[in-house]
Amino acid sequence: MNRLLVLGVNVVVVSVLLVVYGILLGDSGLVGIGFSASLLGGVLVAYSTTPRDPSVVALLNYSNILVDAVTSTLEDLDLLESQVCSIKRGGVTLLVYSRTPCPLEVDPGVGFAGGSPYLAIPTTRLSTLVESASSSESTSSLLERSLAAVLVDELSACRSIRVEEEADQYRVYITGLADVFKQYLERPLDPYTLLVLAVSSEALPATYIRLVERKIARDSILLVLRAEKSGAGS
Amino acid sequence: MERGVSVLLLVYTTLVVLSVIGLYALGEKRVDVYISLNILAYYVSYAVTGPAYTSRHVKILNIVLFAVFTVIVAFRVYEVLVS
Repeated sequence: MNRLLVLGVNVVVVSVLLVVYGILLGDSGLVGIGFSASLLGGVLVAYSTTPRDPSVVALLNYSNILVDAVTSTLEDLDLLESQVCSIKRGGVTLLVYSRTPCPLEVDPGVGFAGGSPYLAIPTTRLSTLVESASSSESTSSLLERSLAAVLVDELSACRSIRVEEEADQYRVYITGLADVFKQYLERPLDPYTLLVLAVSSEALPATYIRLVERKIARDSILLVLRAEKSGAGS
Repeated sequence: MERGVSVLLLVYTTLVVLSVIGLYALGEKRVDVYISLNILAYYVSYAVTGPAYTSRHVKILNIVLFAVFTVIVAFRVYEVLVS
């Protein structure tokens, strides 16, 4: 329970007493003030559920350490300018950094495939995934709902997500990026790219998903994904 | 707490206190006026500060406040039309 929640509940309790007092006095102005204060308390209670400072700061420091470690590994493997893709294997999704486009024969960790080094990061199944509403629902609609459930509703990492389908490519528009994530956009381990690839792997019926293009604007990011069912990507 | 949320709550609280003092000083007795001005103050604060990320509870709050505001305005319009 945080301090904002305690403050909000206190304001609501006091405002209810004020309303009762106003009714007893027959002063509807006082009743109005009481209702207004109770709304204020309600707003405080609702906003007490947003992430708090200490946990966010601690997680940011922890994330920075991990991102620096992985960036050093990518640098040593000469993979800073590499391509990234996600491969679904059993119950695990592998996020693979490699110079060759999506090598399928990879194991979690560092290794060689197709004459090039790779770094494969295993990700566990994401908790919030939606199921297809009907058999006629398009894959882009399912992907959009899945991404919104994870990135908007669960993680509050952005304000909105839109997905457009073109042939076998998916254009993912992410807008209203969270300030805490923006600092990682220029890093090789960009959270939006990794989360979108991980969710897409779960939502789409594809063996692997490759990031084709990535464009960053001030408060938005565009990711173009290509979903393929089988066969190594050259 | 995110800085945007802190600024929003500060602006919102200030607007609410000012509007309530103003209305009471003017002798306003209608409860719905206090509530609607409060909701208006909230949306003005939200639009001005625009927190980058919020929670699901805040989204529900936004919808509920908008519904309450709509009902109050609709009731007032109905009163004017009837009279």
